[in-house]
Amino acid sequence: MKLINESSKTKIVNNIIVGMLAIYGISQKRFDLSESTLFHQLVTEVISPMQEGLASSKKSLSSLWENYLVIVNTSKENTVLKKQISRLESDITTMEEVRKENLRLKRLLNYSDEMSHERVMAQVVGWDSANEFKVIRLNKGKNHGVKVMAPVITDHGLVGYVYRVTDNYADVLTILDQNNRVDVIVERSRTHGIVEGVINFKCALKYIMRNEPVEVGDKLITAGVGGIYPKGVKVGMITNIDKENFGMTLSIEVVPSVDFDKLEEVLVLIPVDTASTTNVVIPATAPANVEAKK
Amino acid sequence: MRMRFSQLLISFAITLAFLVGLEIVTATILPALGWNEYRLTFNVLIILFLAIRMDSPIVPWLILGLQMLHSIFSIEGWALGTLAGLIVMMSANYLKEVLHLTTAFMTMLTVQLFQIVWFMTVTIVICLKISDFDKFGMILWSFIPGSILLSLISPVLFWLLGLIWRVPSESGPRGVEI
Repeated sequence: MKLINESSKTKIVNNIIVGMLAIYGISQKRFDLSESTLFHQLVTEVISPMQEGLASSKKSLSSLWENYLVIVNTSKENTVLKKQISRLESDITTMEEVRKENLRLKRLLNYSDEMSHERVMAQVVGWDSANEFKVIRLNKGKNHGVKVMAPVITDHGLVGYVYRVTDNYADVLTILDQNNRVDVIVERSRTHGIVEGVINFKCALKYIMRNEPVEVGDKLITAGVGGIYPKGVKVGMITNIDKENFGMTLSIEVVPSVDFDKLEEVLVLIPVDTASTTNVVIPATAPANVEAKK
Repeated sequence: MRMRFSQLLISFAITLAFLVGLEIVTATILPALGWNEYRLTFNVLIILFLAIRMDSPIVPWLILGLQMLHSIFSIEGWALGTLAGLIVMMSANYLKEVLHLTTAFMTMLTVQLFQIVWFMTVTIVICLKISDFDKFGMILWSFIPGSILLSLISPVLFWLLGLIWRVPSESGPRGVEI
């Protein structure tokens, strides 16, 4: 009987200690930015090469299948053409942005310096293993110049920003994640809004008032507000507008420009004269932007 | 049945290695094969095994250790799952008289029920953290398909973990004391 009591006491004490630790951990947790702990750095550096190896093997096998066994030349040509098309589309969007920007700037008799970036190419080696977070792991880290909060893009558009980084790996909070909020503008009407991740690899455009001139098919680009993303990067396209709700704002569905299902390589943009990782800018949050709109 | 501390360490080390393998399957292999929409959260299943089948004061620390390893693969971190694991473990303790994992169906049903408890806890905490309860249904729904698949494979995984932890299958739900 005494033994049972002792065991129960130990159980209760252990439950309380671990429970308190967990609650403390939760209170300190941030889902929009994280510093890598020594434990995380060490274990990631040991485990992630396995992920990288598997990711590379898959790519090699699928490349072998696609390029040599099925349609050797057509596949290669198709890939090159697709890349050219998406690069040209991206260039057109950028040029259009530059043209519009120039017009506005001429009118204001002012100019702004475009943010210049160094580019680090990285391969996607894994995804977050939890359902509720849409995070990718890249095979480039501090040793390659990657920094926390650096924007990540592809030739199709915006992927997200670097959430945490170790010496050779970086985790990127994608725009599909509910904790990532991107300040965007509708390319056609210049309406501002916030893109947030929702389930099923789609996003939602928020804080657009019911009387704003937005339409299905409108393209969204980054607004360049908040200090993380450069201006004019493609984010996605409006695919559905729900006007049936009774709120002040519209419920808008957005499909990202980037096909996250087929994401393999990305570019990490590192501002040339960037501040140190300890002096990072916190992402623009929805409430702040709503305040700004008011 | 009692387990020696050295045996516990060996079993725990094997479980950690097992978890690493399963996390790599979830985080790298399945997405590479095109399975990207839903994740199989194997850490939940392993912790459910410990919470339901083990009867030891050290289980909270085992849960903490497993979640620390899981945090390498997810920005969820260790704390959320540890809290959910503790709640599941305490629930299992209260229900130990009615939990009988004697058949595969009962194992699946029990695992599904405790997964719901787990995901409710996690979803509530996430919604509190991001101050947005509008997303409650959306987050909870994202768990459902993966959790059903996990429940379906739980009898096999529980059998494997039973071998690692030397829990006799006929010993009922509260198999091992440490």
